[in-house]
Amino acid sequence: MSSPAVWNIAGAPSAARSRGGRAALALFPFAALITAFLLVPTASLIWGSFHDSKTGALTFANYAYLSHPLDLVPFRNSLELSLASTILGGIVGLLIAQAIVSSHNSIVQEIATTFSSVAANFAGVPLAFAFIATLGANGLLTRVLLGSGIDIYSGGFKLYSVLGLTVVYAYWEIPLMVLVMLPPLQAMKASWREAAEILGASRWQYLRSVAIPILMTPIISSLLLLYANAFGAYATAYGLTTGFVSLVPIQISNLINGDITYDPGQADALAIGLAVIMAVCIGARALLERRSSRWLSR
Amino acid sequence: MANDPMLARIDELSSAFTARQIDRRQFLKGLAVLGLSLPAINLIVAACSSAATASPSAAASMANLPGTAALIAAAKAEGSIYQTGIPPEWVNYQGIFDLWKQDYGIPINGTSTEGEYSSGQELDSIKNTGKPDVGDVGISFAVQAKQQGLSAPYKNSYWADIPGTAKDADGYWCCNYWGAQAFVINTDAVKITIKDWKDLLDPSLKNAVGIDGDPTKANDSFFAVWSAAVGNGGGIDNIQPGIDFMNQLQQSGNLTAARASSANVLSGEVKVAIKWDYLGLADRDTAAGAPNIAVTIPASGSLASPYADIIAAKAPHPNAAKLWQELIYSDAAQLLFLKGYAHPIRYDVLNTAGKIPADLAAKLPSADLYKNVTLVTDITKITAAQTTLGTGWTIVINS
Repeated sequence: MSSPAVWNIAGAPSAARSRGGRAALALFPFAALITAFLLVPTASLIWGSFHDSKTGALTFANYAYLSHPLDLVPFRNSLELSLASTILGGIVGLLIAQAIVSSHNSIVQEIATTFSSVAANFAGVPLAFAFIATLGANGLLTRVLLGSGIDIYSGGFKLYSVLGLTVVYAYWEIPLMVLVMLPPLQAMKASWREAAEILGASRWQYLRSVAIPILMTPIISSLLLLYANAFGAYATAYGLTTGFVSLVPIQISNLINGDITYDPGQADALAIGLAVIMAVCIGARALLERRSSRWLSR
Repeated sequence: MANDPMLARIDELSSAFTARQIDRRQFLKGLAVLGLSLPAINLIVAACSSAATASPSAAASMANLPGTAALIAAAKAEGSIYQTGIPPEWVNYQGIFDLWKQDYGIPINGTSTEGEYSSGQELDSIKNTGKPDVGDVGISFAVQAKQQGLSAPYKNSYWADIPGTAKDADGYWCCNYWGAQAFVINTDAVKITIKDWKDLLDPSLKNAVGIDGDPTKANDSFFAVWSAAVGNGGGIDNIQPGIDFMNQLQQSGNLTAARASSANVLSGEVKVAIKWDYLGLADRDTAAGAPNIAVTIPASGSLASPYADIIAAKAPHPNAAKLWQELIYSDAAQLLFLKGYAHPIRYDVLNTAGKIPADLAAKLPSADLYKNVTLVTDITKITAAQTTLGTGWTIVINS
């Protein structure tokens, strides 16, 4: 603790340099976090995906799944599920968020926001059980509908399918959309609308030429967030279907903790496939974020 | 950790007292020196006194108990038994604990700390702590324990009754009970009679048939698929027909992805579950008529998986461990397993001798149905079936 150089804050000539040094020091925890939880795991994934799990030899065999139609089924299921739940969650969530903003009632806003934060984080096995009890083959809602003459299961619906999972995923995708869309919707200034009206714009013209262009970027970036969120989800789907609907995260889990199908190298290769899709989503969102922040900064 | 020397000293004193090497006064003095509180001392003395009162000569007079007089005396002198992976609520072990305490009065340790251990954890504990005397493990772990030198050989007095495939030729492990794959049917929801595998393809069973988890991960559902092979032209050497049958069930829309857990069986989410008979029978009792559940063994056959008992190679109480073997294979304890719905390894012998009480038999699927059940103990066949399933199952869920 007797290092005068570090504590010599008043040293005028080296002020600029030491400020840079302190900035670097302040950045250290974050850099350490990124290294430990992002860079190192990514590097190990990439390394593992090019090595044979048993012999350790360099190989491309782990990526053979890219050419096997059956092995791409998890990707197709995951893409379909994520896309469907994103569209459903996005549209419904956006409408609810706008309704909350338009209500101008602080109590409604408070309650809706709190509920959304809770619901957006209610996932995993508890959510799976809640849905089995509600929409399962013998669920409450299924039985009520059956009582009124509507048999959703004979109509082709199945909770344990991509369609069923879409409904379940929407349970947290909708509130997540509400949460991420509230700030940009609240930042829309009344004066923009007034200015447009004074210039003689109709409601539709205002939407088309002012509101939608400004909101387009936050909407698309929110949808990408929803998409990535659905793509990476695991516990809910597994709790509900015990692996019968094969999704990429479930397939990865089978490869790393199945007694029978143990092949960490192939799991790494699948994870890289997943990471590429996630990186594209998050990267696109970051780009769009930069464009829209210009308009919505308060 | 700081308590370890103290515990060791208490153990030492207790054994000396139980073996009558020191008297009560010396025992109390020894405990007091350790700075224990009075209630704690009383507890220890009470526990040891019951063991100390039965003298070797008294044990000899209990000739009708399992185990020779010499073995019982030696086990009592050791003062206690340490068990790993033997929980009271599993296959009615509580009943067997009670029997053990009533017959021999030897304290059982390890239940609260290691009772819930998985087979793998049990072997770790035997290898690393050196505490356990006996363990109850899945069959493949019993074989593994022998290979790693973790178990000691002992042939109990009922050795001749035990089928050749269910015991190690050198006595390093012996199966104690087994469960067989059964149909667990919600008879309130299912209107047809289900007796055999082909009945599961009935069009009235849409989204009704479930297995207990992902067969590539869970033993229960793995055996469900393998048992389906037995009824569909395959068998213990060929699991493929079982995979094909599951695929047929999936294509017909009868297989549901809902797991055949107790919750899903009781709620009616899974109307026909393929799972272990003992789990299904417990579900039936829990449901108590809401809904009505029937458990049956597929007529053309199914498979059974046994558990095995091992004695730790470095058991601190080797005689107590042997006495435990004598007890659990005895008629009384074997019937207690059956009361817990696990089929004891001497089931056929007891059944032929008419020793199974009628009220207990009435609660179980009939003994005739169990004639087509095959006990799976060959590890190489298990591994081969798992490998085939690993690739085959992907086709069932992805096609």
